Amino acid sequence: MGTKWCGGRVLAVVAALAMVTTACGGGTGSGDGTTLSMWTFKQTHVKALEAAAAKFKARTGITVNVSAYTPDDTFTSKVQSAAASHNVADVLEVHAAGEDRVLGGAGITSDLAGDVNDQYKSRFLKGTADTGLITDQVYQDSLKPKSTDPGVQKGQLLSIPFTAGTFGVIYANKDLLTAAGIDPGKAPASWQELISWLAATHAKDAQNGGITIGLKSSSTGLDWAMEPLAFALLGPQAFHDLYGADKSKAWGSANGQKVLEQYNQLTPYWTPGTQTLGIDDADRAFAQGKAAFDIGGTFTISAIQQNGMDPAKILSFPIPAPEGSVAKDFKLAPFALTGLAVSAQTPHRDAALKWLDFLTQPEQAGAFAQSALDLPGTDLGANAEKLVGPYLSSMEAAFGAGDSAWNPGDSTFKGSTWDIQVAGDILVKMSPLKELDPAATNQQLAVYNNSVHSGQ
Amino acid sequence: MASRFRSREALTGYAFVLPAVALFAIMGLYTVGYGLALSFARWNGFTPTWTWVGLGNYLDLIYRDPAIAPVVQGAALRTLVVMIAVPVLTVLVSFPLAAALNHITRLRSTFRTVFFLPQVTAGIALFYAWTYALQPDGSLNYILRHLGLGSIAQPQGWLGNPGTALPTLIVVMVLGSVPVAMLLYLTGLQSIDQSVLDAAKVDGAGGLRAMTSIIWPLLLPITGAVVMLNLRFALQDFQTFLLMTNGGPGGHTLVLGLESYNLAFVSGFKPTLGLSSALGWILFVVALLLAALNLRLLRSRA
Repeated sequence: MGTKWCGGRVLAVVAALAMVTTACGGGTGSGDGTTLSMWTFKQTHVKALEAAAAKFKARTGITVNVSAYTPDDTFTSKVQSAAASHNVADVLEVHAAGEDRVLGGAGITSDLAGDVNDQYKSRFLKGTADTGLITDQVYQDSLKPKSTDPGVQKGQLLSIPFTAGTFGVIYANKDLLTAAGIDPGKAPASWQELISWLAATHAKDAQNGGITIGLKSSSTGLDWAMEPLAFALLGPQAFHDLYGADKSKAWGSANGQKVLEQYNQLTPYWTPGTQTLGIDDADRAFAQGKAAFDIGGTFTISAIQQNGMDPAKILSFPIPAPEGSVAKDFKLAPFALTGLAVSAQTPHRDAALKWLDFLTQPEQAGAFAQSALDLPGTDLGANAEKLVGPYLSSMEAAFGAGDSAWNPGDSTFKGSTWDIQVAGDILVKMSPLKELDPAATNQQLAVYNNSVHSGQ
Repeated sequence: MASRFRSREALTGYAFVLPAVALFAIMGLYTVGYGLALSFARWNGFTPTWTWVGLGNYLDLIYRDPAIAPVVQGAALRTLVVMIAVPVLTVLVSFPLAAALNHITRLRSTFRTVFFLPQVTAGIALFYAWTYALQPDGSLNYILRHLGLGSIAQPQGWLGNPGTALPTLIVVMVLGSVPVAMLLYLTGLQSIDQSVLDAAKVDGAGGLRAMTSIIWPLLLPITGAVVMLNLRFALQDFQTFLLMTNGGPGGHTLVLGLESYNLAFVSGFKPTLGLSSALGWILFVVALLLAALNLRLLRSRA
């Protein structure tokens, strides 16, 4: 009997402790005044953020608890439900130039414009500091009925850059290049040369000598490969016009045909089954030597390295411009991939702002990059190589700005309901599936583009 | 006195039922009502207010929005194919399998366990295992090539060829449905009165005749249940498609369940939660009509 009671008491104590622990863990999300909570959708960032939090606590006495909710859709629904119950974390790592605006427009995250002055912004990579800024164009788009970010106000700054990068980077396996008789010491000078390289590696090994990308998410073919090619080929204005309402310049026009014919040159060289691979699967296939080339972004290098490939065996370069391209000196513009936002509900705004400031200081950003293998939004300047190693710093060196630089973070010229997945499916039907030729693909993209403009 | 006792007894009964009713009211009715209301609104899941659009979401899905309606129509056609193929193939595989298992005496329980194993394995693990087996260098192509059937092997993988992707997914779904259907048929077969079968034998009915004229008609209610369960599964399933193909290649395996999921969670923050909810309600109504039809057919047979 005595034993039973003892067991009962132990159970009661355990239950009470569990309830207290649960209450602490899932409470307001902001703790007792010196404890901040931070949510991210990137599992690979957690360890690096926790290491930063330890340093931050030693310096300021403020504790930061980091939680990851992955994948992206899980993070989205977590924020949705937490916002409804006023239980959002104090700091959020969000998709920049998209999710930050949605959350800010809904009043879930707060305006940082008054806290981030020009001097603060100068620490970020050129062209990325204002990713979270609500410009006049963004504000006007937000007023449309089916806008993604209703409620934003002109001049608001809804996030600051945390990680940066760009799409349209090709990784090549140096060993396979050498085996095919190609000098892996320098990047191909043009799209045509890239295609000739592909022909050589594919001729050497049809099974493993091709190019891959995670086409299970069909949008990757569109915005990681076709769009930088189109931008280089047509130049910025004609590229923007492809997505406009003027049918003589938009998809369906001669310009659209020209772009698709170039892109279709990849079709014979996709690795078998690339259309069934997710993004991580494609990077893994490349790292395992099942593809000679992998299309991705600056962030792809960390996935390839994590899959065990030695970076010294990789040649990376931006998608090369075709000969006769309009955009001379074509470059890839960096944009903030993720941003840091502060909850509008937090009672610890000052502490949250200190955390943001700490995370984006060059020294800490370098430590984060080393640990997470991700390029920070903070400009590391001359110390880049020392802080993040030669590979990530070489990526930073490849960035450009201005009229000749393609900025994948800018989608303001597309219809507000443009869905990259739907358009990506159309492109996949041409390449690699060969169900459509470039003319039919151009026509289908035209129908879709027109439907987007008529349905807004 | 007796009436006071009865009312106290009734109160006790209500008190016992109340927690379950309250739970259902909160978890069931509230969410159902919320979902229904959402289907008449435009919302991105974040803003504090909804924009009421009346029947707009339903009209957009069915025909009105030129960017969405064609995608939904294509998905509806593929869903219809799945809805016909999965129940029919499940019955065609599970009924003979159950009949065979019912006939054998040795190793019956071993075979029953083997055939039921897929049901107790987590779906997600099965889907990933299938995905690897179906790749260009996966085990299925490997086996076919080593059996001298290389011409059937799929160089782009079974899920990478638009012509084989949907049929392959249907086969995976059927193999997932067969265990339960087989068990239901086996239960039915074992409950048939042996004297009925003996009488048929005395009357000269052979094995096939007994199967088609006696056993099959007696098991029609079970067939109805199997068809109904698989119709619902085929109509609402999205995880098979999400995990194995994500609707690809090129949208060739996009079905309504997956489209509803995409509109809710993968729409790039577009205000399409209402559209997703409306699509969910359309699926619900179709499922309800099919259930009613099935019930009517079964009653008329009975």
